[in-house]
Amino acid sequence: MTSDLIGQPVDMLAAMLRQGRTSSVDLVSSALERIAAVDGTLQSFVCLASDAHEHARCADVEISAGGWRGPLHGVPVAVKDNYLTSDMPTRAGTSAPGIAFEPRDSSVVARLSAAGAVIIGKTRMHEFAWGNTTPPTRNPWDIARVPGGSSGGSGAAVAAGIVPIALGSDTGGSIRIPASLCGTVGLKPTFGRVSGAGVVPHSWSLDHAGPLSLTVADSAHVLNAIAGHDRGDPGTVPVEVPDFATALNQPINGLRIGVCRNHFFERNETGVLAAVEEAIAYFRDSGAVVIPFEMPILAYGLGAIFAIELSSSTAYHARNIADRHIEAFTDDVRILIEMGRLVTGPDYLKAEQFRRVLMQELARIFASVDVIVGPTTPLTAWPIDENTVQIDGTEESTLAASWRLTYPWNLAGLPAISLPCGFDGRGLPIGLQIAGRPFDELNVLRAAHAYERGHEWKDARPSIQRGGQSDGINP
Amino acid sequence: MQNATDETDELFEAIGLDLDTERRSVVLAAFRPIAVEIAKLRSLDLGDVYPAVVFSPVPGMAEEPKETR
Repeated sequence: MTSDLIGQPVDMLAAMLRQGRTSSVDLVSSALERIAAVDGTLQSFVCLASDAHEHARCADVEISAGGWRGPLHGVPVAVKDNYLTSDMPTRAGTSAPGIAFEPRDSSVVARLSAAGAVIIGKTRMHEFAWGNTTPPTRNPWDIARVPGGSSGGSGAAVAAGIVPIALGSDTGGSIRIPASLCGTVGLKPTFGRVSGAGVVPHSWSLDHAGPLSLTVADSAHVLNAIAGHDRGDPGTVPVEVPDFATALNQPINGLRIGVCRNHFFERNETGVLAAVEEAIAYFRDSGAVVIPFEMPILAYGLGAIFAIELSSSTAYHARNIADRHIEAFTDDVRILIEMGRLVTGPDYLKAEQFRRVLMQELARIFASVDVIVGPTTPLTAWPIDENTVQIDGTEESTLAASWRLTYPWNLAGLPAISLPCGFDGRGLPIGLQIAGRPFDELNVLRAAHAYERGHEWKDARPSIQRGGQSDGINP
Repeated sequence: MQNATDETDELFEAIGLDLDTERRSVVLAAFRPIAVEIAKLRSLDLGDVYPAVVFSPVPGMAEEPKETR
């Protein structure tokens, strides 16, 4: 029985691989055992790689011959179903007949493979990344609740200890929301830091590729592997790529922590608010300087992201609308794609003007702060099939509530991470969000790692057992 | 003289929303709260602000996923 091994952070697995205390073949077997044990219930995977053991054997040979490529070498990872892969089908979460994508590796998958990672399969996503529940995937902390989305399969797979790392994509929060709801780390890098070439588009100027992982360090290792300019993606920026692992284990004395008291602190569940305030107090007590501020312009952000996301998605699906493939989409996604026609050209451009103002306002704020801290989501995982939630006496849709605190960082294109910062009264994970300046993932990771190593949240695991019944928290 | 239904049909045809009446009602109902948010955005005076999307004459080399059918 090797399936306990796979639920460990990459640093530990990499050390064991280099010392010959385990093998990549064992780790792949461990992941597959874990899938067999729990994924019948979780349904986090849609496809498994038939050649994973073969790649693992090659990794073992290379490592034993002294050809270690880095922390990901020989480590099993999963990728979201909107990343093209040459040896597995890509469906982007749809089961509509007549839609298939070309079999080739996306740039991120190619870079992961070059770093020695072993791709073991593809994770379930909300259809075409247009939603945040990822049916029928279940949350490992409570299988009656959603894992979030649209990268819900990746969140569930990492939280359940199937893989230490799974790739996601984030257009309005689709990496950070499942990370928050499933109790994992989720990193949305700066727009342009990581190539989107070969990732099925949802909204070109909002889409970001990035990892979900067990720890902050694991996300740093993934970013080291996948970051960089790519001629295949005109959105990537040819800027210097630092060693993101240098952000780990750094002091935070004097780090200026911004706290945006409007928008991010309005209408949060009680448990979420308490955990995030405690996190802010921790930063202050650790020598950081906490600087509160307000950004009234955020009141206009929801209209802006809807205008861009709806019109972009409808433009992308023009062919699927014309040939009526859209009629086989799930109804919630079909409605969103159809309604994009109702957004006018001036609305779209006004939203892009708004983005410019938002970016300028944030640049002004980032002259005084190094990172901005707040909740990732105002609520914890909600019951499957529940479409509204009441927070602070106000009823709103779960869709509207769940991405309220994440989409500003997509509009601005800034790096943002979610990491666990506690549990609510029902034993459900709470996410802390830390955002930074453009291409300053180093300070985001520095603050996140400082918080993580001062707490034991990353060591808490849902005790989902064979057959899928979750027994709750198992620290 | 056109009646209101004809004009509505023409408007939907003009924006390229080819849906039957029942479906159109469903989409409009779902759009209503979003329209409120977009109306807020319209109320902002941003006339002098350059949009974040900037045109470049250099052709991109996008390798976007191609659907195969």
